Amino acid sequence: MSRKQENENIKKEVIITGFGGQGIVLAGSILGKAAALGDHLESTLVQSYGPESRGGACSAQVVISNLPIHYPYIRTPDILVCMSQSAYEKYADQLKPDTLLLIDQDLVRPMPGCGDYYAIPATRIAEELGRKMMANIIMIGFVTSISKIVSEEAARNSIRDSVPKGTEEANIKAFRKGFEYGLAILKGREKKASGHTGAIA
Amino acid sequence: MDKSNIILFLCNWGPHTAFQLLQDKGADIPYEIKMVRIPCSGRINKSLLLKAFEKGADGVALVGCSSGACRYGNGTDIAGTNIADTRSILKLMGLGEDRLRHATFLPDEADALLTFLTDFAGDIREMRKTPVASPMPSLPENRSVDFLRGILTKHDVYACQDCGKCSSSCPLTLIGKPFSPRGIVNSLIAGDIDDPSVQNDIWSCLTCGLCYDRCPSAVNFPDFIRDIRCHIISLGNPVRETHNGFFQSLMRIMTSPEVKTQKWAWVPEEIKLDDNSPILFFGGCAPYFDAFFRHHLGVETTNILKDSLRLLNFFDIKPALLENERCCGHDLLWAGDEANFLKLAALNVDMIHSRNIEEVVTACPECFRTLSHDYPERGIPVRFKVTHIYDFLEREIDKGGVDFKKFRKTITYQDSCRLSRFDNRADLPRRLIKRLKPDGFHEMPENGRAAVCCGNSAWIGCDSYSKALQVKRLRQSRANGGNLLVTSCPKCQIHLRCAMEDPFLGDELAVEIRDLTSIIAETINWA
Repeated sequence: MSRKQENENIKKEVIITGFGGQGIVLAGSILGKAAALGDHLESTLVQSYGPESRGGACSAQVVISNLPIHYPYIRTPDILVCMSQSAYEKYADQLKPDTLLLIDQDLVRPMPGCGDYYAIPATRIAEELGRKMMANIIMIGFVTSISKIVSEEAARNSIRDSVPKGTEEANIKAFRKGFEYGLAILKGREKKASGHTGAIA
Repeated sequence: MDKSNIILFLCNWGPHTAFQLLQDKGADIPYEIKMVRIPCSGRINKSLLLKAFEKGADGVALVGCSSGACRYGNGTDIAGTNIADTRSILKLMGLGEDRLRHATFLPDEADALLTFLTDFAGDIREMRKTPVASPMPSLPENRSVDFLRGILTKHDVYACQDCGKCSSSCPLTLIGKPFSPRGIVNSLIAGDIDDPSVQNDIWSCLTCGLCYDRCPSAVNFPDFIRDIRCHIISLGNPVRETHNGFFQSLMRIMTSPEVKTQKWAWVPEEIKLDDNSPILFFGGCAPYFDAFFRHHLGVETTNILKDSLRLLNFFDIKPALLENERCCGHDLLWAGDEANFLKLAALNVDMIHSRNIEEVVTACPECFRTLSHDYPERGIPVRFKVTHIYDFLEREIDKGGVDFKKFRKTITYQDSCRLSRFDNRADLPRRLIKRLKPDGFHEMPENGRAAVCCGNSAWIGCDSYSKALQVKRLRQSRANGGNLLVTSCPKCQIHLRCAMEDPFLGDELAVEIRDLTSIIAETINWA
C-alpha cells in the first residue's frame, strides 16, 4: 500500500484468524506496527479470543489507512487470513467478491465455488524450519508479498522488534520463506496467464 | 608457416595397389601426405583417427576398398561409421570436420586416387594448420622413491590396519575380481611399485570412494589412487585407457589455447540466453558422448543440458554460455594426467573470470566436483560459486508456486558417486524425486552413500568385471519393481546402457533409463 496521498482515502481492513496459540494476535500486531512505524500510515488493532488461551477461536482485526481511522472494528474484510477451518467457516459467507483470501492450505479447506484464494502450507514450512510456532511469521511474509499491504522492509523491521530476543534471525528467515513463497505463487500465476505453464515448450 | 601434415591411412588391399601404381609412375603425390599402410579401413577406430590430430596431423584421410570389395566383408561400412562419428566430434571441437575424409578406390583407380589426394592436400593448405599445439612433452620430472613416500605420507596410508573393510565394501572385489585395495597399499608401502598387483589394480580402481567411507583409519583411497596414478604415468607406465584412449585424446587436444570449440550449436532456438548474465551454465562433455556413443542404444545425454537450460529459463534465469568451453578435466585428473588437467583448468577458469561470472551452474556431478573442489585444491582458485543444478532447482522449487504433473513410472535411482558420496549429497536428488509424482519410488538394496558404482570412471580400466557390476545393478533395478532407472550422471547412463547391449542377456537387462533433470523438466509446471 502506498504512502499518504492527499484527499484519497486508501483504507484496508485485514482480519487474521485461527486458533489461540498460533500467534494470530502477534501477527496482527506486527502487521499494524509495520504499517504505522515502517510505512508511516495509520493503523489499529482489535483482538478477540475465547476464554481458552490455546485452541479456541482467535482473531485480530487490523485496519490500515492513510488517513485517521475512526472505527477500528471490521465487518467485511478486504483481506482475510485464515489459519483454521472454523475461522474460515465463520467468515466465508461474509466476504466481498474482491476480498483477498489467504489460507494455510493444510489447515483450511475452502468451500467449493468460493472463488479465488491464495494458499500456503505455512505450518508445514514452519515445522520444516524447526519451529511450528513460526507459522504466523511465515503467514506475514505471505501476506506481505501477495497483498503488498505493508512494505517488505517495514514488515521485516516490525518482526525484528516484536519477537523474543535471540529468535530474530530465525523469524526473519521464516518471514523470507513466506515472502518468497508468495512471490513464487504470483510469478506462477503470471506465467500461466501468459501461457508458459511448463519448462518444455 | 610450418608445412601441414596429412596422414593417409591406406588399406593394404584395393587402394594400396592404386597408390603403388602412382609411385611407379612417379606421380606427383602431394609432399605433405604421409602414408600409413593398414590391413583394413574398418580397423582404424575413432581413437586412432582422433589421435592423429592430437599428435599434430592437420588432415587425416582414411582410404579403403569400395563398398562390397572389402576383403573382410564389412570393413568399409565400419570405416564409414567411424568417420561420420569422428567428423561430428571434430566439428564440436572446432577443428573442422573437413579435415577428416573417407574415400574408397578400386585397385585400378590410380588417377582418381591422385585427384582425391591432390584436392585434399589443397583443401588442407587452405585450412592451414590446426590450432592444436604441437604435442606436449609428457612430464617425467625425475621423480624419486621419496616422491612416492611423499604420497604415502600425505594420505597417511601407513594408518592402514589391514583390517579388510575396504575389500568387503569394494564393488570390484565383491563382484569377484581379484582386486585388493589394501594389497595395493601394502605393496606400495613395501616400495614395490612394479608389483603386478599395483600395475594392474591401480587402473582398475573405480575411485568410487566406498572404501574410504568404511575405512576405520579414514584413508582417502580415491585421492590416494589418483596421486599414485599421476606418479605411475610420470614413470612412463601406460594408462589403461578404455575406448582406446579416445576421450583422453579429446581432452588433451582441448588443452591447446588456440582451439575454439563449437559445442553449443545444438542449443534449441527457444532457449533464452544472455551474454551479460552473471550466471553461467557449464555444459560438460555430453555432446561429445552422444556423437561417440550414437550406436550404444542411442545415448542422448545432450538432452540433460537442453533440459537444464529449459529449467533455468523456467525460473527466469537467462544464463550465459562459455563459447569456448573446455572439458572440465575430471577424467584426465583421475587418469593421472595432472599436467594436462591443470592446463584445461587454467583455460576454463581464465575464460570464466574474464566474463564477470558470479555463479556457475552445471548439471554434471563430475563437472560440479571438479570445478568446486579439484580446481582450488590443485592450485587454481576460482572466484565464482559453483552450483549443481539440483541445488538450484531445490532452492527454486522450495520457494513454492510450482507443481509436478503425474509421472507414470515406477522409479529406481542410481546414485552418482561424485554427488552422493564425495559431496555427501545423497539426500539432494531424493528430495527432488520426492517432489515428483511418480507411480512409485523404490530404492535399490545399496543406495545413497552406500550405492554401488555404475562400473567405470574416468574412461579407464573397463573389463568383464565392470560389466558384471553393471549387469548386477541393472538386475537390482528391475528386481524391486521399477520400470524406470533414474540417473544423475551422463556416464552412469552410458555405462549401464552399454551393459544392456549384451546379446546373450538381451531383454533380461532392458530398463528404460532417464536423467532426473529431464524428468523434472518434463513434469514441472506453475501451480
